[in-house]
Amino acid sequence: MGNAHIRNNIRRLRFDRSEMTQQQLAEKVGVTRQTVIAIEGDKYSPSLEVAFRIARAFGVPLEEVFQYVGTEDSDENAA
Amino acid sequence: MDMSYQEWSITGSLAAMLVVYGYYFAAVLRHVGQLEFALGRLIFAVIAIVVIEIVYHIVLALETHPEPKDERDVVIEAKAYRNAYFAYGTGAFLVISAVIAAGLARIAITPFLVVNLVLLFMVLAEVVKLVTQLLCYRRGS
Repeated sequence: MGNAHIRNNIRRLRFDRSEMTQQQLAEKVGVTRQTVIAIEGDKYSPSLEVAFRIARAFGVPLEEVFQYVGTEDSDENAA
Repeated sequence: MDMSYQEWSITGSLAAMLVVYGYYFAAVLRHVGQLEFALGRLIFAVIAIVVIEIVYHIVLALETHPEPKDERDVVIEAKAYRNAYFAYGTGAFLVISAVIAAGLARIAITPFLVVNLVLLFMVLAEVVKLVTQLLCYRRGS
């Protein structure tokens, strides 16, 4: 199984909301700032619960924050 | 260097482990076969680790902003324990193999050697755990 590719729009959503800092988002979601940095940089995929909490912090649906763009395997199978 | 509370905590624990057990094994190697000497140094090492960890974490809590673990910390810790388990399992296998091989070859293996080999792999496993955590935090994974 290849690596999952989950993209996110957290950086854009933060700037759309009066340039919310990573620390402010971390406090709203209940994680550390390092975890927000890792999620924003596509280096860590959060649990469903944290993903929903991030979406709620921005007041948008989950799909507007995270997009699933497939895996290496599924891309190969589809080709 | 911008390090989180968790990273500072792990770095301190790693440094304490390396210094204290480095001293222990260096001392024991100069007194090979003396189990009582090793026991005395081991008790000293365990007390030293506990005292250093307590003092370091009190200072760290005063100097930085302590943060409770979140889900990513737990995931990283789980990866670290997996690697440490592999390291300790490998060590245990090697010690058992050495004892059996020595028995078959009628070579005497002293309790001093077995105890210190097991302890060495316990320390190595802990070092593997702490280094894995530091690498995961540094990579941002």
